[in-house]
Amino acid sequence: MIEQPRFPQREAVDFVIIGSGSAGGILARELSVQGFKVVVLEQGRYRRTHEFTHDELSVMFNHEYVGGPLGGDPQTFRHDASEKAEVPDFPPAYYARMVGGSSVHFSANFWRLRPVDFKERSLLGAIDNADLADWPLDYDELEPYYTRVDWEIGVSGAPGPFDPPRSRPYPLPPMSVKSSGVLLEKGARELGLHPQVAPVAILSQPFNGRAPCIHCGFCMGFGCETGAKSSTLVTMIPQAEATGRCEIRSQCTVHRIETDARGRASEVLYYDAAGQEQGQRARVVIVAANGAETPRLLLMSASERFPDGLANGSGLVGRNLMFNAHSATYAWFDQPLHDYKSVQCSRIVHDFYDSDPKRGFYGGGAIDARPFLSASPMLYALTGMPPDTPRWGAGFKRDLAYGFTRSMMLAASTTSLAMDRNNITLDPELKDRFGRPAMRVTYNDHPHDLAMATFLQDWAERILDAAGAEKTWRKPVEPETVGAHLLGTCRMGDDPQRAVVDRYHRSHDVPNLFICDGSSMVTSGRGQPTMTIMALAFRAAHHIGEFARRGEI
Amino acid sequence: MKPDRGPCRPSGMTRRDFLAASGGVIGTSLMAAHAPALLAAAGAAAKAHEAGAAFLHLDAAEAAALAAVAARVVPSDDTPGAHEAGVIHFIDQAVGSFMSDSAGLLTEGRAGLDARAVEAHGQPFAALDAERQDALLRQIEETPFFGLVHYLTVAGMFALPIYGGNRGYAGWKLIGFDHRHGWAPPFGHYDAAVGASTLGHQAMTGGGHDHD
Repeated sequence: MIEQPRFPQREAVDFVIIGSGSAGGILARELSVQGFKVVVLEQGRYRRTHEFTHDELSVMFNHEYVGGPLGGDPQTFRHDASEKAEVPDFPPAYYARMVGGSSVHFSANFWRLRPVDFKERSLLGAIDNADLADWPLDYDELEPYYTRVDWEIGVSGAPGPFDPPRSRPYPLPPMSVKSSGVLLEKGARELGLHPQVAPVAILSQPFNGRAPCIHCGFCMGFGCETGAKSSTLVTMIPQAEATGRCEIRSQCTVHRIETDARGRASEVLYYDAAGQEQGQRARVVIVAANGAETPRLLLMSASERFPDGLANGSGLVGRNLMFNAHSATYAWFDQPLHDYKSVQCSRIVHDFYDSDPKRGFYGGGAIDARPFLSASPMLYALTGMPPDTPRWGAGFKRDLAYGFTRSMMLAASTTSLAMDRNNITLDPELKDRFGRPAMRVTYNDHPHDLAMATFLQDWAERILDAAGAEKTWRKPVEPETVGAHLLGTCRMGDDPQRAVVDRYHRSHDVPNLFICDGSSMVTSGRGQPTMTIMALAFRAAHHIGEFARRGEI
Repeated sequence: MKPDRGPCRPSGMTRRDFLAASGGVIGTSLMAAHAPALLAAAGAAAKAHEAGAAFLHLDAAEAAALAAVAARVVPSDDTPGAHEAGVIHFIDQAVGSFMSDSAGLLTEGRAGLDARAVEAHGQPFAALDAERQDALLRQIEETPFFGLVHYLTVAGMFALPIYGGNRGYAGWKLIGFDHRHGWAPPFGHYDAAVGASTLGHQAMTGGGHDHD
């Protein structure tokens, strides 16, 4: 075991990476493997695999991993600028604070974008009240990095009829099908659709010295106790540390990136675990703090030279926030599914991926089968029962006993359009425990997003009926108030007036500042952005390393 | 919220209910910061209760009334309910730790409920028969107090037994949740069926191009 280095703070390391999640973990590994000295600053704790539990009360209801008001870092939310933002029940920007970030607690649904995602502005034209734009790269350019993600971290799956081209097969065969998957398959086929295996970043077989999934069922929101979920915590971070050139500093909360007289990033200021202010000098700073915390940090780093926030010459830092819209349709069947076991999703329908002008609105998405609210007992009893079930008493008990094992849902994950009005800003009044301005989230879905979610909900209900559901019910499609997909807030593009970073994730304004995470995404895909965030990180690390070796930073 | 992360705000619940249900803003900071220590303390306390020790945070009147409310939320019949699951011991632990901010609401709400019971029937809530208890609860079922006790009852039924409730896995047995650390397929009725799925067995080619 190689001891972690302790780099001196007053001497510039090659790279400081802010955030250790899906992007930060990969950047740390790639750059340290390439020979650079790397310090990773992570605000959350360094939890080890054996520390993860099935403690539903703590993890799902007492927000052990996600911070928010409980962690002294409240966020505020409003639907539009005319409202006063309030601190809501859940952190509206919902993400895990720990080494490995949200790749630790996500459900591990793992889709690639498709060629169409990168060029929708050209293909479809402008959309009212939205800033739909092409990406500065295309699928072919990203494909080798998607394949690297597959093979570096371990992904289980099988090709489907509408999949984009891939240069190598999946490294691991699909996870076992679940009852919800069988029922989706049956219902979808009856309606002439083409269900396929749902790919997941979870090991169906041993891979790279890691044990496979034991189907315990605690994926969504939980850390994996066996390390079978392919988070950066168990894949990239250990390999970064093994180089002896990467120091993971956990419980270090960054509040400012300083620039020098030339306008270059020079030092990252943070509060350590004891709340003491510290600084780390660096030649290059990479912000990978997720699509909500990244713009918040850049806005907090405003200075005389950069009065609107660092890297914000375009005015787009924090703008164009996209959550991915969704809809949820639930069902009971007459026999037990026991869908609380194993991974969330085993089957998916991708027939509705492309936007279709005949529908009358922009958008695309997928329908997958999963337990969702019947994944664990408290969740089911508090949120997963039909709306007409009694809330207490003998009828409540009867439905508790009946429905938990017979439940499933069809989740539709869909597009979100980029809009200026949806954004991350600094709350003008509320502060967090360090005195930093609280994050303010302003979000209201585009009408097309809600129309697409409803369109897929109609299909989901038909599928469940065709599968023989005993009872179905819908969660009404409403504007989102919480997002776990935090996208678009520092979008990439060639034009410095219309993008925050260039096609290599370099800030248009600050040459040694790179930004790589969900914030880089120009469009939202159809949900499940993690694989794309990881592919972008592998690609960014390749180019950033080249720039550094050539002295071009 | 997104289908691929934690719990979403449930449809059909009011915001107030959900505040009670989520634990989000009603005082769980201790849990967030000190989960392992609290777990240890809760475990020790649960053992103490099993040995017959008194409640640590509730007084006798509170314990009697809250236990009675919990027993109407999940009644005992031919299967165990909140009473057998030891929900009141979970509540006792919760108000002494991660729900401490809600202790005032519980105290006030309980006093109000007993006052209603005395006014209507001359006896505290716990002493009434089930029919009268249910009638009183219907009067308060939209209140934050009831929402809180409802949440605590559900949590006490289904949270890990180390928190003091879910005794003998009464809650998990009720709903058919079998807590093991690993499973092997088939998982349920429909995937156990012969020929349940025709997908996922194809050769692992690099394909994805053929459109059927």
